[in-house]
Amino acid sequence: MSEAIAIQGIGIERRYGGFRALKGVDITVRRGEIRGLIGPNGAGKSTLIDVLSGRVRGQPGQVLIDGRDVSRLKPQERRRLGLARSFQRTNIFPMLSVEQQLRIASWAVAEAGVEEVMEELNLTALARMPAAEISYGDQRRLDLALALVGRPSVLLLDEPAAGLTVEESHGLATILRDLANRWNVTVLLVEHDMQVVFSICDGITVLHLGETLAEGNVAEIRADQRVVTAYLGTEA
Amino acid sequence: MTALSQGDVPAASSPLLKTRGLLAMALAALLLGVAAPRLVSSQLMLSLATQAIFDALLATSVGFLVLQNGRVSFGQAAFFGLGGYAFGVLVARGLMAAELAVLTALALPTLVAFLLGLVFARIAGVAHAMLTLAVGQAFYEIAFRWRELAKGDDGMAFNLPPRIFGFDSSLLQDPSVMVVVAWTILVLALLGLALFANSRMGQIAAAVRDNAERARFIGHDTTIPPAIVYAISALLAAIAGLLQATYNGYIAPQMFHWSLSGSALIMAVVGGAQFILGPAIGAVCFFILKDFAGRFAEYWPAIVGSVLVIVTLVMPQGIVGLLKAGWFRMRRQA
Amino acid sequence: MAIQLLNGIVYGGLLYLLAVGLVLIFGLREVVNFAHGALFMLGSYIGFTLAAAGHWWLGLLVSVVAMAAVGCLLDVLVFRSLRKHDHIVTVLITFGLLLILETVVTVTWGKAYLSYPVPKLLDGTVTIAGSPFPIYRLFIIVVSLLVAGGLAAWLRYTRMGLYVRAASTNAHVTSIQGIDVDRLSLVVVGLGTALAGLSGVVAGPLLTLSPTMGNYILIDSFIVVVIGGLGSFAGAFFAALLIGQIHNLGAIYLPWAATMLPFLLMIGILIWRPTGFAGSRT
Ligand SMILES: Nc1ncnc2c1ncn2[C@@H]1O[C@H](COP(=O)(O)OP(=O)(O)O)[C@@H](O)[C@H]1O
Ligand SMILES: [Mg+2]
Repeated sequence: MSEAIAIQGIGIERRYGGFRALKGVDITVRRGEIRGLIGPNGAGKSTLIDVLSGRVRGQPGQVLIDGRDVSRLKPQERRRLGLARSFQRTNIFPMLSVEQQLRIASWAVAEAGVEEVMEELNLTALARMPAAEISYGDQRRLDLALALVGRPSVLLLDEPAAGLTVEESHGLATILRDLANRWNVTVLLVEHDMQVVFSICDGITVLHLGETLAEGNVAEIRADQRVVTAYLGTEA
Repeated sequence: MTALSQGDVPAASSPLLKTRGLLAMALAALLLGVAAPRLVSSQLMLSLATQAIFDALLATSVGFLVLQNGRVSFGQAAFFGLGGYAFGVLVARGLMAAELAVLTALALPTLVAFLLGLVFARIAGVAHAMLTLAVGQAFYEIAFRWRELAKGDDGMAFNLPPRIFGFDSSLLQDPSVMVVVAWTILVLALLGLALFANSRMGQIAAAVRDNAERARFIGHDTTIPPAIVYAISALLAAIAGLLQATYNGYIAPQMFHWSLSGSALIMAVVGGAQFILGPAIGAVCFFILKDFAGRFAEYWPAIVGSVLVIVTLVMPQGIVGLLKAGWFRMRRQA
Repeated sequence: MAIQLLNGIVYGGLLYLLAVGLVLIFGLREVVNFAHGALFMLGSYIGFTLAAAGHWWLGLLVSVVAMAAVGCLLDVLVFRSLRKHDHIVTVLITFGLLLILETVVTVTWGKAYLSYPVPKLLDGTVTIAGSPFPIYRLFIIVVSLLVAGGLAAWLRYTRMGLYVRAASTNAHVTSIQGIDVDRLSLVVVGLGTALAGLSGVVAGPLLTLSPTMGNYILIDSFIVVVIGGLGSFAGAFFAALLIGQIHNLGAIYLPWAATMLPFLLMIGILIWRPTGFAGSRT
């Protein structure tokens, strides 16, 4: 079972004008795997997530979910096939209450599971608050919760801990690993905190200047000389 | 993001309005409406009130677009005019039965607005204001120049057929009857809007208004729900236009003019466009104010303008927002 | 035909004077000033009062100065204090101001149509391509060309002009670079409304004065601003000439197209490129 491919990107290109943000990236994530996606700022991590989730379409490359080509599908169609994502810059519904927006999210996919998600992400106490009025840390978890409603099969997480304190981000990492295991979700996780990445990821892909620099398990990546020079530096 | 809404919870998300309470309120309002002509003897007063209810319907239609889609329109009169003109022209030329003309006068603007909404919903803020202004004025120019349609800028008087839907149609030009008809329609419309806002479609539209991109990423289509809101809002405007045309037996290009769109927008903003009831209450307030300002009729536009400036600066949530805040403060102290 | 073309240029010139004021204000404050037509109208009435008393040129001067002052007030009281708000709120307020100004004029000068005299210096006609053409209309063309040239030079060759161009492209960058946007805006908004006053006076003898005279031309100048590329100075110039020609030639040869074409162009452009307006950048 562990050989089944949950999400796959083949030869993904992305140009901004003359600039090639992604130069034919291939990525394959197995079902149930937590894959770290790391690399310096500007490497193209968010762009890759954008392509996989359908935010940008119509450039060379293919995206497959469970072996099905979804390259032409819109984000909402991919979401209904079980592909959910969160955002590097908090992307929520500021005027709607926490519970209301999760409920609206549930209508598109599952009808149920709103209470469960609020429980898992410690949002229950905030259910009736408008999202604009909760703290930044809570908003980050709400952003994640919007992706988790309906137990998606594949989760693309773009720096879910961005801007959180060290404790908060480690707490989030624990929740994530726990949920991924229990719900059997495949995760592609962009994260800068190497401690988090090394502790929860099964495998790691390193992007650099729009290309895959290395791919492997935690030990292999830590030992990879090119990765250390390009990204990890000496402290890792 | 919504244009005229800083802070506070939007009405759409408020569980305050429970369905049963709503129905009770609506019923009380309906009874009040039926009683009104027996309580008020002055025909002039009833006639003014009738006009105020038409205004309230148009203001509600503009406000609903702000509330549900976060879009400010300077061209809502286009649908008001279209409703009135479709009915007037069809009836005057005897092209179809009056009942069918009524349906056409309501269906045509609704359909047009739905189609426009598929495109317009993507456009926000000042650009949307300019766009709707242009569309409204384009309609105005057509009505103004196309003399064969309805006598251009002179406007056109027309006779109602003797009976509409089995009722004596001359009753519809009697203020003591029309005031009840219009009031009933207004109350039912407000009830319908409240139910829509709480429905799935209404809530999804509110989510799209708040953040269309994220709405897509949680799996919702983001073109149909706002377009439906445009359609509903245009339907309201068309009802108002149809009622006014019927009541006056007269249509004129001013029904399309941007000053009419603008004044409806002002009523909506002053009343509180974030609330379903706000625009109608705004219209009623202007009606009362106008009565008081009778002696200063000359200054009326300036009074309207000043009220608008003061309200947007001092109480951006409008009259209803102020009342609501006051109500909560009182309850906290008690 | 030549006369018709010239008439188109006259109307285009007037539209340019109004539209460029809108562009100036929009560039700095990202707001479409609905009161611009009312300022045009007010300027016209102020000029008229002096012109009727025989001081045509003084009327021009006073009107321009008065409108500049009104513009500065507008900038400080409305645009500056509301810059943190959604722009559409400010737009609504300018709409309220439009109603107030119309009333002020109605109460002061009455509703009756008034006709603005032509200055003696510019009375009479010249013969162009065999037909008579009023000298006064040539004067309007000259004034708009002078303003266009002066503005272009100011934008291109002065430090302030450079800032204005920078701010019009991107207000954020400018404020980061330490330019005092508020001071800049005071001048620019004042200049924009002064031009509304100027066009009000200059247009006076061509139109009849009424408190609603600004409405029609305001919509036309909105069209010019949008067709000109939403905030472009050169664009506004060419769009004004285009609309002027459509307005005049079209009215003679293709009345239907002349009325609808500008609107359709405007609608098409707004749908195609809504991001030109700040309100949709969010
Ligand atoms: N909308 C855009 N327009 C132009 N360039 C962009 C845009 N978005 C991203 N880029 C560029 O693409 C590259 C990759 O960006 P991104 O995917 O955000 O990197 P990462 O998430 O790895 O930090 C960067 O050089 C960035 O400047
Ligand atoms: Mg990134």
